[in-house]
Amino acid sequence: MALKSGLQMDETALIRAAQDGDHAAFEQLVRAHDQSVLRLAMNLLRSPEDAHDVYQDAFLRIYRNLHSFRFDCSFHTWLYRIVTNLCLDHMRKRKVRKEEPTVLATNDGPLDRMDAVPEDRVDGDPQRYLFSGQVRRRIEEVLGELTPRERMVFELRHYQGLRLRRIGEVLGTTEEAAKNCLFRATQKMRAALGDFI
Amino acid sequence: MRDCNWAREQFALLLYGELSFDQEEKLESHLDVCGECRAALERERSLHAAFDGVEIAPSPSLLRECRHYLRAKLMEEPAPQPVRIGWWDKFIDAIALRPASLVLRPAGALTLFALGFVAARTLPMGAINFQSAGMIPGAARVRYVEPASDGKIQIVLDETRQRIVSGRLDDQQIKALLLTAAKDPSDPGLRAETVDILNTRAQSADVRDALIAALQHDQNAGVRMKAMEGLKPYAQEPEVRTALAHVLLSDSNPGLRTQAIDLLTKGASVDRQIVSTLQELMLRGEQQGYVRERCRRVLEAMNASLETY
Repeated sequence: MALKSGLQMDETALIRAAQDGDHAAFEQLVRAHDQSVLRLAMNLLRSPEDAHDVYQDAFLRIYRNLHSFRFDCSFHTWLYRIVTNLCLDHMRKRKVRKEEPTVLATNDGPLDRMDAVPEDRVDGDPQRYLFSGQVRRRIEEVLGELTPRERMVFELRHYQGLRLRRIGEVLGTTEEAAKNCLFRATQKMRAALGDFI
Repeated sequence: MRDCNWAREQFALLLYGELSFDQEEKLESHLDVCGECRAALERERSLHAAFDGVEIAPSPSLLRECRHYLRAKLMEEPAPQPVRIGWWDKFIDAIALRPASLVLRPAGALTLFALGFVAARTLPMGAINFQSAGMIPGAARVRYVEPASDGKIQIVLDETRQRIVSGRLDDQQIKALLLTAAKDPSDPGLRAETVDILNTRAQSADVRDALIAALQHDQNAGVRMKAMEGLKPYAQEPEVRTALAHVLLSDSNPGLRTQAIDLLTKGASVDRQIVSTLQELMLRGEQQGYVRERCRRVLEAMNASLETY
């Protein structure tokens, strides 16, 4: 089935077309979701190389297994299930290696994640800027100290804006378990950052 | 104090909008009367705002690079297995809440009801024992059911059984199976492996015919490429040349078309038909730049006109 240019197909039609081997439809599906996938991987792994690997692995798995997708859940949930599993694998391996780089290697040279925040957040006041930088560094450290699952739930809720029920679906657990995980994550962060805020 | 502890535990869920209406009401009531908790909530809001400051967005160049690399990887992938929707899947769709099943849903419900009605009157009491019937759910499918005149039900099953056959390539049965597998439309990976094996027996006429058919008609460029590999030693044979000319004129893959030019123009004598094929391409205004350039160079080397014959 060939896609007519300019014709916006709904997602179900796109998936069915891609299942029938329509490359253009698959590319449209990728484009509809790949920015959030890359953002999720980048935030969790903080490495462009690892985020790139997760992006490739996730969409290749989707491509290879698209024929088995039977609309039992939303495409977004299925995709996020794959992406979160890949990210959790990376994070667990990293925990074993005790790697938590604060400086990122990017295509545009080394980047300190903490320096990525615009200065206008602290109104140009040097003292506030220094303090804000310390807070950000501390948040970064605490995020690194969370367990991979806590980190994942926090990321999906705070940065990706997923509801706890959806997070449960994505991670293959209950809403209650996701809520407990979020609760533990925020409690740890509150305890570690109490002096800064 | 106990209310304060409970209230502070709810702050994160409150800020994420994950509290139920009742819980939120209870918390609001507490905050109305507890200044310390109101102050603690403000600190929690500041903490949330600070979290936002550590989010990083991937650079546009990373996104571009990811898309580019994925596109290249997908080119190497065999075509995905086509989805086969049999009557059973349609039936399951019909009784389940799936998007494509709206039309069939009443039919599915009716069928389910009818099956239940028939089964209740025909099967013995007690649970159906699939194991004792020698039937493993999933390994067999009911194709259709038909009540017979003697009150029994006739059920037609589709069963899938695997069997391993082994033998040498000159074994006729093995060769026949390979020739069939080379045309299996559902699995390009299987076709590619099969064509690879058949390439070693391209001297046999029936194998060569299969390779020519794969070269001209297979949907997958990887399979066509493998078939061309096998046919290379026979590039001077008329039927192979016809197939190569077909690839040159109609294949969508520039790599295959370029190889076809090489094979067709290899050797001391180049026939007039090939020259006219190349000229036809030039006349058509060949779109693939590299192919056009190769045609032009070959025609110039042969002192042939570029666009007429």
